[in-house]
Amino acid sequence: MLRALDTLAGRVIALSAFLGTLGLLTEVVVILADVTGRFFGAPIRGAQDITQMAMVVLVFGGMALCDRQGGHIAVDLFERHFPDWANRLGDILSALLGAAIFLGIAWTMWESSFISRMLRSATNIIGLPKVWFQYYVIVSSLITAFGMALRALVLTLGGAVRKGYDA
Amino acid sequence: MSDFGIGTVGMLVLFVLLALRVPVAFAMFGVGFAGIWALNGLNAAKSLLASESFTLASMPELVVVPLFILMGNVASETGMSRKLYDAAYAIVGRVRGGLASATVIGCGGFAALSGSSVASALTIGKVSLGEMERFNYDPRLSTGAVAAGGTLGILIPPSTGFVIYAILTQESIGRLFLAGVLPGLLLLGMFIATITLQCWINPALGPRGPVTTTAEKLRAFVGAVPVVGVIVMTVGGIYSGLFSPVEASAVGAGLFIIIGLINRTLTLRAFWAAAKSSVTTTATVMLILIAAHMINPFLALSHIPQALGEFLIGLDMPRMVILALILATYMVLGCFLEGFAMLVLTMPIFFPIIQQLGFDPIWFGVLVVLTLEMGLISPPVGVNVFIVKSVVPHVPLGTIFRGVMPFWGAMIVTLILLVAFPQIALILPDTMID
Repeated sequence: MLRALDTLAGRVIALSAFLGTLGLLTEVVVILADVTGRFFGAPIRGAQDITQMAMVVLVFGGMALCDRQGGHIAVDLFERHFPDWANRLGDILSALLGAAIFLGIAWTMWESSFISRMLRSATNIIGLPKVWFQYYVIVSSLITAFGMALRALVLTLGGAVRKGYDA
Repeated sequence: MSDFGIGTVGMLVLFVLLALRVPVAFAMFGVGFAGIWALNGLNAAKSLLASESFTLASMPELVVVPLFILMGNVASETGMSRKLYDAAYAIVGRVRGGLASATVIGCGGFAALSGSSVASALTIGKVSLGEMERFNYDPRLSTGAVAAGGTLGILIPPSTGFVIYAILTQESIGRLFLAGVLPGLLLLGMFIATITLQCWINPALGPRGPVTTTAEKLRAFVGAVPVVGVIVMTVGGIYSGLFSPVEASAVGAGLFIIIGLINRTLTLRAFWAAAKSSVTTTATVMLILIAAHMINPFLALSHIPQALGEFLIGLDMPRMVILALILATYMVLGCFLEGFAMLVLTMPIFFPIIQQLGFDPIWFGVLVVLTLEMGLISPPVGVNVFIVKSVVPHVPLGTIFRGVMPFWGAMIVTLILLVAFPQIALILPDTMID
């Protein structure tokens, strides 16, 4: 069961990272095209809108993979001085706190999306509806929280954590 | 409990969580959210969580972060860093300690590409450490040069450290980048002087490198032309008004991709790996920034920065002494905390004090970033030292730390010079920007 869940987590995290990477490439392409276009007197309309929203896709798309790869910065100064159980407890606490934070982001973003939909909140120039990107943040935050909660469960049951993903 | 009391408890909980290896971003998030809940209610905490997450992630100024990271990653994948090193070697390789000096120059050049200290140390370290070993360099000098040279990445523009400082303090990224140029070059010169002095005292530390012919020198320079060209275009483009920093970062990344494709040094797999690595690094940085924007309002509400500021100013000490105390605090914290996390944790506390004392915030930014650099090579958690260790696992950690000490001294001298002569940092932004 845990193995199946872990494989599932690996796959959705890979998909999330793929979307994040597409967000990054969109930024490069749009800004380059805009700068080149401006040189010829034809900049891209709404380039900043697109790059801003691509940044949202990039940032939240990369969160789950960053966590899975152990990429978050932590102070491991006292690790050597603590017994194994205390270090394990710290790892479980980190995973649970992380999962709670991303669940919190998903929850508050869900509430905020009602207001965005009601106010038809959009980007300044080409009017990209912000609510779509809020939904994206909700889904990626849930994926990140799922990965973290699973890690907490595996660690609690005494297992080892796999880094990287299956894709 | 008073607001100040809640703030103090919050800070204590933060330190306990950090000691338990809870990631810095999670600890700041948790304490910030709980603190605002306690001080202003759940609704205030919830609305801040939603708004800060989305606002920070879509902030146009922050688009430079992933793009400069991508630029450095692509430069590394395409072997541009090797070409920078070869060119530096062609200049100084023949003198005693020349390979170490070439390493430091290569790090400085790569720093101008990537804005990342760790990337500079890793990339140039991979190229240069083997070469220095081949020519019987003492591992203390070779590893020390790479670890210290890598730190230039956070000072020489474009620097991720300056971008984060600018976002946290609402200062101009362009002014900060300009302010970092001369101190960065000064530090580079100091590092080379340190290497030369060490080799003059003990010639066995860094024997002369092999002779290079004029044709080899010429080939090395020609090889570095595209890399230098991209640096000049991106950094020069910002100051000439041709590009904004965001556009410059995209142009730099795009040019490296194009050069890599033309040279056939960038495969699709390598490009994808570089892009994905940039995404995860960006996620790390952004989560800490979002978390900083959760904990900063909590600190402000609890009046901790205000109380600390009043305490320091109430000591009735000369303002330079207070500045020295703040920088000394950074040096001590740098021994325990990762530099970037330290910046976001401390800026809300120290920056208002600096403003109150009437110091130039751009100049202070340079001093802080230089002090953060020192943390990168300070025992016991100097990140660059561990990066070097990962490249040369057979060299004991103690040897590397001993090797970086002379460079640490050079940084102290540079810091003193910058404090004594603020114009070293301020002359470029003051003359080139209104």
